[in-house]
Amino acid sequence: MPADTLTQNDRLQQHQARWWQVVVRELSVFGRNSFGSIVSVEFLTVVVPVLILWEALPRLGVVPQTLVPTPSTVALTFWDMLHNIRLSEHLIGSALRFAIGFIVAVATAFPIGVLMGWNLFIRKHCLPVFQILAPIPPPAWVPITIIIFGVGMPMQVFLIFLGVFYPVLFNTYQGIKETDPRYLASARVFGASEFTLITRIYIWHALGSVIMGVKIGIALGLVMLVIAEMYGGRTGIGYLLLEAKEYFQIDRMVVCMLMLGFIGWFLIEVMKYIELKLAVWRIGR
Amino acid sequence: MIEARRISKFFSVINEDRSAEGFTVLNSVSLSIESGSFVSLLGPTGCGKSTFLEILAGLQAPSDGEVWIDGNLVLEPLPSTRKEMEEYKRKYRFLSPIANSLFRDNPKHDIAMIFQDYAVFPWMTVRQNVHFTLKLRGVAKADRPDLAARYLRMVGLVGSENKYPSQLSGGMRQRLALARALSVEPKIILMDEPFAAVDALTRERLQEDLLHLWRETKKTIVLVTHDVDEAVYLSDEVVVFSPLPGSIRNKVSVDIPRPRRRSSVEIREIKERLLAMYRFDTVHEADYII
Repeated sequence: MPADTLTQNDRLQQHQARWWQVVVRELSVFGRNSFGSIVSVEFLTVVVPVLILWEALPRLGVVPQTLVPTPSTVALTFWDMLHNIRLSEHLIGSALRFAIGFIVAVATAFPIGVLMGWNLFIRKHCLPVFQILAPIPPPAWVPITIIIFGVGMPMQVFLIFLGVFYPVLFNTYQGIKETDPRYLASARVFGASEFTLITRIYIWHALGSVIMGVKIGIALGLVMLVIAEMYGGRTGIGYLLLEAKEYFQIDRMVVCMLMLGFIGWFLIEVMKYIELKLAVWRIGR
Repeated sequence: MIEARRISKFFSVINEDRSAEGFTVLNSVSLSIESGSFVSLLGPTGCGKSTFLEILAGLQAPSDGEVWIDGNLVLEPLPSTRKEMEEYKRKYRFLSPIANSLFRDNPKHDIAMIFQDYAVFPWMTVRQNVHFTLKLRGVAKADRPDLAARYLRMVGLVGSENKYPSQLSGGMRQRLALARALSVEPKIILMDEPFAAVDALTRERLQEDLLHLWRETKKTIVLVTHDVDEAVYLSDEVVVFSPLPGSIRNKVSVDIPRPRRRSSVEIREIKERLLAMYRFDTVHEADYII
């Protein structure tokens, strides 16, 4: 009997994938879903001519070369920035700021949104406050934030927080509020407590709109990242952009802009991947 | 034993000219249902029978009247005076009266309900759906797989345990709802037009399954339907609802021994009687409203 169970365990272990196999598999899924859309033939037929035109027009003098740097110049400048002005440090600084602001915003906006959508009592107390504060454009907060926090990390993080907070909050709230009452009724008849309703019904039903909110939050957060870095600090992509403007280095500006575009695209792809993993049940539809 | 005492339900509706008007959905419905019986509530669509069922389940508070299940009051009725209303609002300002407790999963009554459009959770697999309801009823974790497997086998969903509801057909989804309701082994099952959305062939099979399960488990089943055949074929007693405002028009007991044949003379006779009743109602509508 012990020998039997042993062999069975062995067989089980053989079938179970090792952790690194799982990581490799998931990474390849992510890669196929994200980079797949860029490497596709359909997209390449569009992007290759555009790149050729972009390269050719300034070189042929159709547009002034001083204003429009060619892709090859941009690539060379990128290489140059990577080595000569320690681009990676600027990037890490920006990433750190964005990560802190983003995580704090999601960690506060999501629970508040859930509570507001779930309970009328809480909604009546909290919602008007946010409804009044939300229409204030986040850049309008810059002056007062600089006075209160001074120039530096806390101010930048707070501005990014403001950008991410409201989209996540309102999308979560809407999603939770619009949960199909049939599901709630059927769970209640079986005896679900309100807490169980939140964790097993509301959140799952609202998942799509929560992720939508986070995507909008990412976009607005990047806007606020650039604004915050332009106004304060000596590091970051926003600072590099401003510095390039001072010295009229258009190629550096283009590098910064392309990097921001890539970061935004990458983060959205990460959210899509998370959605894919969480909302497995939607795939069959 | 379910006892509904003079249940009334009013809504306010907005007219086309924006004036509000009271609208009576249920008018003083009293009904008592014995334990272990199979009762059908029959009526045309929109006659308040679904509302009545939801009031029985405690998903809506009646405007007037009380529902007692085995000696327990289901929901307190809505207050009628302004002072009482304020008190009621204060009492339930945080949690609605239909909510269970805040953190502890605990049903108020031993009821399961099957909805017209199934209301199985699309983000859980078939097995997870059943496990979830078992968890809500406080079934120990070790017992859940056995119970779930037994009831999924009973309704014929073996082999689909890991599918999501979106991958199932309508009939299979209905079976899942049935398995989910049965697995918690309630004393009472309330069904709101459970077979309305499935095709005729599947419907007949599901009806046979339901009868079979009912014979085996001897639960109280309350079935809301607008299908006269279904009501007569399945139930011990047919409660006929009149059109709006909903009230009980008549009760017809079906004393045909089981197993019944769908085409037997007795069933056809009762069916004719019920249909004649409706025909009379539509012709003599004016008399009836008074």
